[in-house]
Amino acid sequence: MPIVEARGLTKVFRRPDKGSGLGGAVKHLFARRYSDKVAVDHVDLSIEAGEAVAYVGPNGAGKSTTVKLLSGILVPTSGEVRINGLHPQRDRNTVAYQIGVLFGQRTQLWWDLPVSESLAVLRDIYGVDHATYRKRLARFDEVLELGEILPVIGRKLSLGQRMRADLAAALVHGPQVVYLDEPTIGLDLAVKDRVREFFRSLRDEGTTVMLTSHDLADIEGFCRRLVIIDQGRIIFDGDLEGVKDTFARERILHVETARPLPLEAVRAALPGAEINIEETPLRYAVRFDRFVMTAGQVVTVLATLTELVDFRVDEPSIEDVIRRVYSGDLVLPR
Amino acid sequence: MRGYRALARATARAALAYRFSLLLGMVAVLVQLVALLAVWHVILEQSPMNGFTWPQMRAYLLVAFAAGTVVSILGDFRMAFRILDGDVALDLVKPVDYQKARLAESLGGLWIELALISLVVGVTLAVTGGVDLPPGPGLALFAASMLILVPLKFLIVYVSTLACFWTQNFMGVQWARLAVVNLFSGALIPLVFLPGWLATVAQWSPFAGLTSTPALIFLGQVDGREALQLVAVQLGWVLVLWFGARLVWRAALRRLTVNGG
Repeated sequence: MPIVEARGLTKVFRRPDKGSGLGGAVKHLFARRYSDKVAVDHVDLSIEAGEAVAYVGPNGAGKSTTVKLLSGILVPTSGEVRINGLHPQRDRNTVAYQIGVLFGQRTQLWWDLPVSESLAVLRDIYGVDHATYRKRLARFDEVLELGEILPVIGRKLSLGQRMRADLAAALVHGPQVVYLDEPTIGLDLAVKDRVREFFRSLRDEGTTVMLTSHDLADIEGFCRRLVIIDQGRIIFDGDLEGVKDTFARERILHVETARPLPLEAVRAALPGAEINIEETPLRYAVRFDRFVMTAGQVVTVLATLTELVDFRVDEPSIEDVIRRVYSGDLVLPR
Repeated sequence: MRGYRALARATARAALAYRFSLLLGMVAVLVQLVALLAVWHVILEQSPMNGFTWPQMRAYLLVAFAAGTVVSILGDFRMAFRILDGDVALDLVKPVDYQKARLAESLGGLWIELALISLVVGVTLAVTGGVDLPPGPGLALFAASMLILVPLKFLIVYVSTLACFWTQNFMGVQWARLAVVNLFSGALIPLVFLPGWLATVAQWSPFAGLTSTPALIFLGQVDGREALQLVAVQLGWVLVLWFGARLVWRAALRRLTVNGG
């Protein structure tokens, strides 16, 4: 049985339609008009225990709204959610013990208290015993270097420190399911790396993780499954490597040669590949489909035609693929 | 229970983190107390008015001060800003009842408030002379009334803060509440000084229980059945507001949108 299950999940927000300027505002006082915005549109999703899922989509696609529906914060307009078979709104208190939520742009720390006290309040709210709590803190300290920020007052934390403290706050009760919504937003590279490493350790321990992010580097190396949402609808749900295999077949071999390459001869020897001259002399780029020929074959062919000085193979990142999906020039099969 | 106790402690600590601001707030209330004492002293020096003599009014103002200070270190600012910012989303994934959690936070500051009240009342009595205590049953009823005042005040603040879900603004809500509470509770002037019909409305409103009811009982201006009735009204409002607040909360949740992030 899946641990998280959504069926036909839909959320419609009603927005007031105000005309522009003061006139519009006054008019709105008397004749209210609203328009509906469908933020999440019939989303079906099921996540198995221990699975790590990346949930990506452009701004305003409905990622955060989905997370809020899945954690019981928002009431769906239609459709339903089950966490371990429970209803997150009706069984709010029971579900609360099983899920952990981090919103990168929000904090649950007390602004006027040291981080250690905020965490202790959460420990007591979740009824975590002291020994377990100390063990968890020690683990957070290992990867997130939490120790140094424990005595710092909430409002004095830098963004990176706040995010690390909030991560600990979201996980202090050892939830089975964790939603991470934009967990690396605004962080510098060093902190990002640390936080990403922490996600991997979570996944390795068997926690079910749903990660929402803009930064596709968060995803690569973290999860197998990719779900793409656009305009409230899931447009792809499948294997991350599969997407790469299907849509990132293209490879580019950059070569530097000792003498100019006979372009015609290359084209004749490598049908299907495309060869271009790069800006610097004696540098070329060969674009090919990795299912038609291997990089090794290309190199061998070029080496018979001239002396190679250096070469490098570029493969497109998952980021490129998803960017092309967003911009609409790549249509993924469901 | 452990979670609620932790929330109560957290509010007290957060309040103490702002000792200076706490002290300033206290000074403001004290200035108001001194001003009211001075004004009423001048008014009542020659002859009593509406049944109030100067020593009685002094006692009334002291009770009003105590009633006004209890449950004033509230988490209402934090609650309002979390609603307005949408951080309330994170309060919704905690295994605690939202309303009880906020009550626990309000109770957290109670001991600080009691300490401040004892200090101010003690000093005032030392400077201006003692007050007459009501007889035994009256004193017991006064104590009961002050006790009921704690949840009543919390609920009035809580329900009005929930209005932030609709208004998207806190200052307006807070000012409106303060204006209504000051007038209808008898905190500014005893209710008998209001026009008859307005006094009656105020008497039956939940606000009378915030100042007027305990003060009148303390002064012995009401006793026996009448006093019991006032306390019953106070208690009735606590129950109505406790369950009414739950309905408001449910409506608020349906309305919740939590923009961005």
